[in-house]
Amino acid sequence: MRPPRSPLAQSLAAKVILSTVLLSLGVVWLTGSALYSQLSDGIKRVNLESSLADARSVFYNARYQFLLVEGATQPQIRVQVEDVITSSTTLGTTDGAREIILLKIFNKGEAATNGQQVNYSFASNGLLSATLPETLRQEIAKTNDLAHEFAPLTYRTGKTIDALYVGQRVTIPDSGRYEMYLVFTLANQKATLDLVQNSLFLTGIVLLLLIALITWLVVRQVVKPVRDAARVASLFTEGDFSQRLQIESKDEIATLGNAFNEMAASIQAQISRLENLSQVQQRFVSDVSHELRTPLTTLRMASDVIYGQRENFDPVIARSAELLLAQIDRFEKLLQELLEVSRFDAEVAVLEPTDFEFVALVRRCVADFGVNLEAADSQISVIAPKDPVHIRADFRRVERIIRNLVSNALDHSDGKPIEIECVETTTEVAVSVRDHGEGMEESSLTRVFDRFWRADPSRARTRGGTGLGLSIALEDARLHNGELDAWGAPGDGANFVLTLPRIAGNQISGRPLPANPHKRGIASK
Amino acid sequence: MTLVMVVDDDQDLAEMLGIVLTGAGIDVDLVSRGDEVMDVFRNNPPDLVLLDVMLPGLDGVEVCKLIRAESMVPIVMLSAKGDTQDIVAGLEAGADDYMVKPFKHPSELIARIRTRLRRTNADVKGSLTIGDLAIDVTAHEVRRGSKVIALTRLEFDLLVALAKEPGRVFTRDALLSEVWGYRHSTDTRLVNVHVQRLRSKVEHDPEHPTIVMTVRGVGYKAGVVGAS
Repeated sequence: MRPPRSPLAQSLAAKVILSTVLLSLGVVWLTGSALYSQLSDGIKRVNLESSLADARSVFYNARYQFLLVEGATQPQIRVQVEDVITSSTTLGTTDGAREIILLKIFNKGEAATNGQQVNYSFASNGLLSATLPETLRQEIAKTNDLAHEFAPLTYRTGKTIDALYVGQRVTIPDSGRYEMYLVFTLANQKATLDLVQNSLFLTGIVLLLLIALITWLVVRQVVKPVRDAARVASLFTEGDFSQRLQIESKDEIATLGNAFNEMAASIQAQISRLENLSQVQQRFVSDVSHELRTPLTTLRMASDVIYGQRENFDPVIARSAELLLAQIDRFEKLLQELLEVSRFDAEVAVLEPTDFEFVALVRRCVADFGVNLEAADSQISVIAPKDPVHIRADFRRVERIIRNLVSNALDHSDGKPIEIECVETTTEVAVSVRDHGEGMEESSLTRVFDRFWRADPSRARTRGGTGLGLSIALEDARLHNGELDAWGAPGDGANFVLTLPRIAGNQISGRPLPANPHKRGIASK
Repeated sequence: MTLVMVVDDDQDLAEMLGIVLTGAGIDVDLVSRGDEVMDVFRNNPPDLVLLDVMLPGLDGVEVCKLIRAESMVPIVMLSAKGDTQDIVAGLEAGADDYMVKPFKHPSELIARIRTRLRRTNADVKGSLTIGDLAIDVTAHEVRRGSKVIALTRLEFDLLVALAKEPGRVFTRDALLSEVWGYRHSTDTRLVNVHVQRLRSKVEHDPEHPTIVMTVRGVGYKAGVVGAS
């Protein structure tokens, strides 16, 4: 199985959607900001222009009005000044609140409290003249034209608001020079800009959601066939070779699908060809079996009859009869083992488990070699648990493994003692067959289970071993999910350990007996 | 003289079997085709049939069924294949024993034939009971109440072996040695298949046997007398 990963890494769709949304967010952000700054610049410019035009007309009107009252009485002038103030705050095209400030300019040395001249200084709505930006005042002092500046406006109540100050100097008859300011609050403009900003923000979010949705729809078109392909491929892997992809278009996905389907068809064809071969192989094995066994039976019986009469023959023919029988024996055994090997190769070897007692089987296999275990000078000794060891395994195969191990040990023991030990655990049983013969090189250990391999080619083939015994024993052990391990050292003999699950087919969890008998002390008994 | 019918399509093997059996003092009737068996069988009923599995005309297993349909004669199958399914098919068709070619020793074949011909429980006489069955050993008859149950000689021997020692648990090996005459067990399937066949004939419910009881992990024993 693949290691668990984040859902993002596992889903192509999620990955594509996320990256698209992130990139779109950047684009939307940039265009939104540019749009906003252009809009706000435009709005401010238009606002400024109209405010300046307003102010210009107000100042023009004020100067004209003041010019008209040149030489008039003081009350008349006052009325005129008040009229100018009123009209200045109400006139104009912009709806925004407008304030007016009229500030008398005192010449140097002239006291503010000079009572000779009337002071018409005025500030609408309780504005603080202190809020007037100093730079603007200096600006108007320098020019006869109007000047403007953006600055916050503070009411006497403490309320502060962004505003545009426009000012010019005017002269009121009989009073002197004044600074006249029109103050346009920017509340309206700010509201407009906020609205624009909010609209842009909202539009951006909706746009992003739409982009995500569209991406998802598009990606799904690509990902769905990929997911289908993956599902079909995994079904195919599980052995359903008839699985094919549905192809509904003519695009690149369809090309992929076609390629996959062609591959699937080719694999299916190969497998059915191999299956056929395997069937042919099985039939061949069965046929060979029948065809060879029948003449061999006749041969065997005939040689047995001849052998039975050997006392009536002259010595040469009598010996020939013995050799004939012995070789037929060997031929038969070889045939049997070859057939067994070909069954393993064709993977038609089947396990036929039954319940039986393991130690009794071991003892009987030893006894079958003509070894009397009860005799004091017996070459083979068996150590086993006192209580019966019941296992579920293929009796015939286990018997064959043990026979093979015992026969092998007898062949290589050089007449020295052989020790057999059986142990059991809750999950497995093991039997070790240890001889003290000439032993094996370490390099031989891996090859000892090879077919027709002999440790020493120059050695006589004693007991007519076929060279297939250990190979078959290993296959038999593995068929049970068991193991067969070999150990050997030159001059120190060899040790073969069969480990079987107590119930054939279960997994073995370890080795109750180590292959190396010198490490025996470590393992538990 | 004892007559054994040898059914094998291989002429040479059949002739060789003839030589060996004749040498052992047994008369031989050779048949080479499966579909000729029944005619010969009816004209000259043998004491035992030695039957090859692979036969032209009619398959050995089929022939076995045909013989069983009309006779309880011992049948020993000869199989060139060691494959279980053939052996089990032969046994289920009614064969008492089987031998896989090539035989270890021809004398083994003769021993098997003699075992099948001999009464294995010659020492037992009179009558026995097992479960609710009455066995008349001398008359070779098994009855439930007044109803006679037909058994092959082998099935009868198996039942008698269990009944003569009620309470003893027989391992499959022990049964192989007592009933089939094997010195050491070779194939416990032989016992399993025959116990099944026997149960299907004598038990009220073969799924819950009361006559031939299974002792798990060990073998079989006789059902309690009177129980049913």
